[in-house]
Amino acid sequence: MSMPAATERIGTLERILRDYEAVAAQLPDSAVAADTRRRAARELARLGWPSARDEQWRYANLRAFERVPAFRPAAPAGATAAEQGAAGAAFELPAPLPGFERWVYVDGVRQGPPAAAAAADATPSWSAEQRFGLLCDMFAADRAALRIRGQAAIELLFITSSRAAGAAVYPRLQVELEAGSRLALVERHLGVHDAPSLVCAGVAIELGRGSQLQHYRLQQCGTQAVFTDTLSARLSEESSYQVRQIGIGAGTARTSARVALAGRGASLGWQAIAVGRGEQVHDTTLEVEHMAPGTRTEEVFRGIADERSRLAFSGHIHIDAAAPGSEARQSLRGLIEGAGAEIDLRPRLEINTDEVRAQHGATTGQLDDNLLFYLLARGLDRKTARALLKWAFLGDVLRAIDLPALRSAAEHGAAGQLPDVMAVGALA
Amino acid sequence: MSGTAGTSAPAAASDAAVPLLEVRDLHVRVGEQAVLRGVSLRIRVGEVHAIMGPNGSGKSTLAHVLAGRPGYEIVSGSATFEGRDLFALAPEERARAGLFLGFQYPVEIPGVNNAYLLTAAANAARRERGQPELDAFEFLALVRSKMSLMQIDESFLGRGVNEGFSGGEKKRNEILQMLVLEPKLALLDETDSGLDIDALKVVASGVNSLRAAARAIVLVTHYQRLLEHIVPDFVHVLARGRIARSGDRTLALELERRGYDWIGEQAA
Ligand SMILES: Nc1ncnc2c1ncn2[C@@H]1O[C@H](COP(=O)(O)OP(=O)(O)OP(=O)(O)O)[C@@H](O)[C@H]1O
Ligand SMILES: [Mg+2]
Repeated sequence: MSMPAATERIGTLERILRDYEAVAAQLPDSAVAADTRRRAARELARLGWPSARDEQWRYANLRAFERVPAFRPAAPAGATAAEQGAAGAAFELPAPLPGFERWVYVDGVRQGPPAAAAAADATPSWSAEQRFGLLCDMFAADRAALRIRGQAAIELLFITSSRAAGAAVYPRLQVELEAGSRLALVERHLGVHDAPSLVCAGVAIELGRGSQLQHYRLQQCGTQAVFTDTLSARLSEESSYQVRQIGIGAGTARTSARVALAGRGASLGWQAIAVGRGEQVHDTTLEVEHMAPGTRTEEVFRGIADERSRLAFSGHIHIDAAAPGSEARQSLRGLIEGAGAEIDLRPRLEINTDEVRAQHGATTGQLDDNLLFYLLARGLDRKTARALLKWAFLGDVLRAIDLPALRSAAEHGAAGQLPDVMAVGALA
Repeated sequence: MSGTAGTSAPAAASDAAVPLLEVRDLHVRVGEQAVLRGVSLRIRVGEVHAIMGPNGSGKSTLAHVLAGRPGYEIVSGSATFEGRDLFALAPEERARAGLFLGFQYPVEIPGVNNAYLLTAAANAARRERGQPELDAFEFLALVRSKMSLMQIDESFLGRGVNEGFSGGEKKRNEILQMLVLEPKLALLDETDSGLDIDALKVVASGVNSLRAAARAIVLVTHYQRLLEHIVPDFVHVLARGRIARSGDRTLALELERRGYDWIGEQAA
């Protein structure tokens, strides 16, 4: 029984390496240095293709990744900016966010003026669990590299066009904040609906002492897309990293994030929503390492699984012996709406020091009958009452998006996944 | 007497003939426990009833069952509302038909806006009565006057339903909802519990403002104090799942003096 699975694994890895050999010579050094690409390929070959038998990959829809038709990038250096621009123009861009500089990437390649001179260049050494990050190192055709001194607000739109059908797109994002700097960063993945393709993002973040990053992440890829993003962040002293992540698109989506609270007093806020319907599979693993004293984590996940969708969120917070006085709070909640839907929440706190304040909770269930009855007893019909409660379930995280235009986009995106909410007009 | 409600005379006459609420020999179980063991109650329009009784005697159970809360097993007996079988109606249909339950423990619903709930509830009731829906402007005018009567600040409209409200604020919010919905029958389950003296007067004046020949009110309470402000026509004692005694307002005074033990003795 394990035989076919084994051949399949080897098959996928072989296909990846073969695709890499075929395109490596055309991939631009400006995105990733050739020897970094080579090292990533060797590392992936060493680690092999993951197996669903590994705990960390249990809820990932590996099959969907194995069915990706090709791993070569849709737009290697060969594609002209004009061609890319045409593909992007066919896609209706969301309204610009006031006060934000906008960078648009179509099928992984930046449109418009070349990147600014001051570029970040952090390439994390991905762990086995984050090995999809290696794919992005191997294949990325371009990158968004930001080194911020002072204050900035940047919106990155990663658009997958129908030209990417049958190929892959590798958004690559490197962010460095110098000491005391502040960045509001929007990372939005959008795609046309009919493009079955792999979108494989790699994100590396370095926060200097006392810097602050607000990172808003919206994943709204087309329903045929297989999406994965691998994120690694390192926080120095007194820095703050606030993530708001909304996952609603793609047929299969996997987020694998690792945050190191390396400096004293560093703090992380990770608030995420996933809404699944149809056969969607959304899986997130978030690993947080408290490595220094007085570090803080606040982790919130709210997931709604409708129809036959599957959601999983695994939050592992590790508090080192070197991190006394740390605080960690984790609240994971799932709402199962569909008869065939599934939600797996795995909270985990591992504490190796004293004087720690930690709290975690994970619940998966249906709508609260007491709340439902209250609304019915006021004469609301059942459909409206249920829609309101579903909407309220996501409310905390949606309200935590403090950019009104983006919150509205996130709300409409989430409501679009919940047709009854849309019908009720619960959004203001 | 029944002509003052503004309804036409023949309708008022038939209203008087059919009780607003008629409960007959109602037996209800919760799990293995027989909580209501033969409750009968008749309430006509224009009347105010008080239901008193020891903790755990089944007062909230009765109110919940009448409002349609799931989780109760109706073993036998019946309840009609204006002659209609109440138990054949879904909770939202009962509400729209004009039955209002003021909760003993109103729940907090963060993320559902108070104003949204009030508008949705008011419009559901209006649709049922064949009245046009209120637009946002009309709604605000209506709700403002009721809020000032209940001494609830307008900022509460923008908050989640009961979210972070104090105990007393929750109770006043229940009465506000009742005033906006204008039900035919209000079942108020311990709306007076946890209120300070001033808030009690505010709640009482809210309830009294709804007193009309075409409506009825049932007050579940532990205290004679509320009944000084809202004078009942009838007082019932629910003990061990039955109406053990009924009387006029003097019964409440007697209970205040003597407690419930003597009722138990008599019933035994
Ligand atoms: N959902 C339930 N599950 C288990 N027992 C219940 C439930 N609801 C009611 N009961 C039981 O039924 C009995 C009556 O409860 P009920 O709440 O109706 O009393 P009450 O008269 O309103 O009391 P109080 O004055 O304390 O509000 C109690 O013994 C209570 O424990
Ligand atoms: Mg009670």
